[in-house]
Amino acid sequence: MRTHIISCAIAALFCFGIAGCSTMPASSTDATAVKFTMPEFDNYTLDNGLTVYLLPQKEVPLISMAAVVRAGSIDDNPSGIASLTARSLMLGTHRQTKAQIEQIADGLGASITAGADKEDSFVLAQFMSKDSATMVPLFANIVQTPSFNSDELNKLKQRQIAGLSQAKESPRAVINRYFEQFLFAEHPYAKPVSGNRDSLAAITAKQVRQFYDDYYQPQDSAIIVVGDFDVGQMKAQLQQLFGQWREGSQVARSDLDKQLPKLDKPRVLVVNKPDALETTFLIGGIGISRDNPDFIGLEVVNTILGGRFTSWLNDELRVNSGLTYGARSHFNTHAHAGVFTISSFTNKKTTQAAIDLALKTYAKLWQQGVDAKTLASAKAYVKGQFPPNYETNQQLVSLLKDMYIYGLDEEVINSFDEQVDKLTVADTKRLVTQYFPQQNLQFVLIGNAAEIMPIAKQYGEVKVVNINDIGFSAN
Amino acid sequence: MKWLCSLLLACVSCSLWATSADDIQRFTLKNGMQIMVIEDDSIPNANMYLFWKVGSRNEAPGITGISHFFEHMMFNGAKTYGPKQFDRTMEAAGGANNAYTTENLTVYTNWFPVSAMETIFKLEADRIEHLDIDAAMVESERRVVTSERSTGLENSNWRTLSEEVKGVAFRAHPYSWPVIGHESDIAAWSLADLQQYHQTYYAPNNALVVIAGAVKLAQVKALAEKYFAPIPAQAPPRSIKTVEPKQKGERRVFVHKASVSTPNIMLAYHVPATKDADYYGLDLLAGILSEGNSSRLSRALIDKQIAIAAETYMPQSFDPNLFYIYAIAAPKVSAKQLEQALLQPIENIAKNGVTEAELSKVKNMRLMDFYRAMETINGKANTIGSYELYFGDMNKLFDAPAAYSQVTPADIQRIAQQFLKRENRTVGVLSSAKESGL
Repeated sequence: MRTHIISCAIAALFCFGIAGCSTMPASSTDATAVKFTMPEFDNYTLDNGLTVYLLPQKEVPLISMAAVVRAGSIDDNPSGIASLTARSLMLGTHRQTKAQIEQIADGLGASITAGADKEDSFVLAQFMSKDSATMVPLFANIVQTPSFNSDELNKLKQRQIAGLSQAKESPRAVINRYFEQFLFAEHPYAKPVSGNRDSLAAITAKQVRQFYDDYYQPQDSAIIVVGDFDVGQMKAQLQQLFGQWREGSQVARSDLDKQLPKLDKPRVLVVNKPDALETTFLIGGIGISRDNPDFIGLEVVNTILGGRFTSWLNDELRVNSGLTYGARSHFNTHAHAGVFTISSFTNKKTTQAAIDLALKTYAKLWQQGVDAKTLASAKAYVKGQFPPNYETNQQLVSLLKDMYIYGLDEEVINSFDEQVDKLTVADTKRLVTQYFPQQNLQFVLIGNAAEIMPIAKQYGEVKVVNINDIGFSAN
Repeated sequence: MKWLCSLLLACVSCSLWATSADDIQRFTLKNGMQIMVIEDDSIPNANMYLFWKVGSRNEAPGITGISHFFEHMMFNGAKTYGPKQFDRTMEAAGGANNAYTTENLTVYTNWFPVSAMETIFKLEADRIEHLDIDAAMVESERRVVTSERSTGLENSNWRTLSEEVKGVAFRAHPYSWPVIGHESDIAAWSLADLQQYHQTYYAPNNALVVIAGAVKLAQVKALAEKYFAPIPAQAPPRSIKTVEPKQKGERRVFVHKASVSTPNIMLAYHVPATKDADYYGLDLLAGILSEGNSSRLSRALIDKQIAIAAETYMPQSFDPNLFYIYAIAAPKVSAKQLEQALLQPIENIAKNGVTEAELSKVKNMRLMDFYRAMETINGKANTIGSYELYFGDMNKLFDAPAAYSQVTPADIQRIAQQFLKRENRTVGVLSSAKESGL
């Protein structure tokens, strides 16, 4: 429905779990089908250590461009500074004010945005090829010479703080932040990218400048360009615009292999939203890192459990029982660890029925396991749905960004079918035993606490917070 | 929608500057089903979009939401492929699907490796001709749709406010009710209502099918003749005759929701249908108001810390519909202050017009939208199908560049004066404030 989609955009909603339709990974059983392979790209390093990826695509006269920096919320101190620093890049450069940047980009129909994630910060631009001579230098200024104007920074902080309150009006928009903080506790992966209203309010322009100087360095960054351009000309332009970017001193990085939490008992976080119509819930535990050799195998097994419309979870909770509009499961991966979640929502009166059925269905992974027919179907599905994930310039930028951040190569694409094909029923058994959290499950329930507390207690040790409390933590 | 996903529909409000008529091939089956084919082998996949000319505008009180409900029921079993078999068969062949319903259309979308195309034809033909509406399935699906309605209201303020605003802006035309329907209607429609609905609207002569991807016209034609051509045509559905009476003064609606952190305002102005010559000017005006940080609303509201978000939305539409303007207040800004601040830039355009530079900016944005839509086989199928239906003639697509380029600053000013005026608007306020007094 259009209205639904527009409302998604305005409320910055996202859907949980793997997106089931267009973005899920399948291939034909037809041996004559054309194999989908990674398009040719250039990957090299400038003298200052800056990594460059260039991937020409001529289908439409557009260019997508990204700068990726190894700095994310794992490096936050105070909370939210990585995201605020990235967003602050758009507030002006030594040559242009914020308003001038916006006027130039908008005038050409182009877009430039910046933001951060747990492990990286990025600037993304999209523009028409004919406008390269204006847009690439503007992009280079934004990345290398930000002004961090303090008046604009204060306004940005106010918008971000108000945005946090607004996000909390939608349980779906914030439940993952609660879950990651509940699960990872003191580990850097616990830190919410968005920060919280108190941490953001206290950040100064000086701290933003310092964060930028510490982390935005060519040897820890990549420039990615995908689209309709001449490789020789683009190389020359990038050398001229980024060749002088100077390295600074190295900063100490957090040790992400340490402090991973030990989950020794089942726990439940209830987030009280008194006017909730429904209960939104996540159930899960520690998952896998992005470079795990079983990443693709787990994607296939997860497809069966909760990654597509006919998955066990959606079939039971939606199709058989009408308890919800949708139920899914998902491995969310980072460089050193990850999260596994089952997600759904239901009328507050059916909270217990939905959670019990989700748990019962999840237990089938061990009790019943995956049969050959279901495995064959899931393999066909992930292969058939794979190519449309890498169709646009933006999608290819995102793929190259992942390659840079997680140390992956083109085999991610080129050996995908092969890795899916070789998966056996016995392999799925091993994957279930090895990776899916079975004991000491962790729960987050957002809903009316007065009504769902007695239910929550049945699943583990309960903590309650109000949704309007600062941040996303259980404390 | 059939189920929740992050798929954003490709832009359908842009024209096909760079595509020639030769790229789009079409034929009509003898039962009246129209089929368009776009050959594109950039990936070894294809899609099939089935646009059915039925949406909430075809409903009446008592069966509001039935079009959307039907969107769900189409997945629940037919003659050859019984309950659950549509999805299971499609997914096992490597395909995925979804569907969406609007005020005007119900659209089914299948994405698949091209080797699965015959399976897709079989599945679609079975449910078009032989849908089996099972009573137990209907009851279960009512609960699913009730959950879909509820999760929309829980998570989206736009959803919560727009259904009230539409109800006030339209008092006669079926655009009055939400596409998902009234809760009591979802609980009440009968098996007979559903059977009647399927027979009337899911007739091949009421559909447009668009297929894009690594396919060949001859192959599509052969499959369409084999699977779709035998489905009998039906008498055309009755046309929608209700014309919304002219609004003669501002209308207002207030909605209370305790968890709303700052007030939300929605302005809705009556505007003509998409086929109207003013569509292009209205679309550009929407862009000037809200697209990009240099837009009028962004400069007037967000830069000045009055709002944290401001957007416009104008759905493509068979009948005259609404031009929406939406804003979310910054902290400590009242609904009244936000409303006043929102009205000023609109009034300013009506009074002083827009610049050539602003207009050229938004034309460039439309060109970017178009290229983005043409970047994927999905964007191509959805855009081309939507154009054919909303503009009424595929060839008009090629007039769109000229239509956009001909819009002048004077046109924008005239359009703002003509449509974005007080007596033509409904103002919706969503707030946590409690109304008090008598």
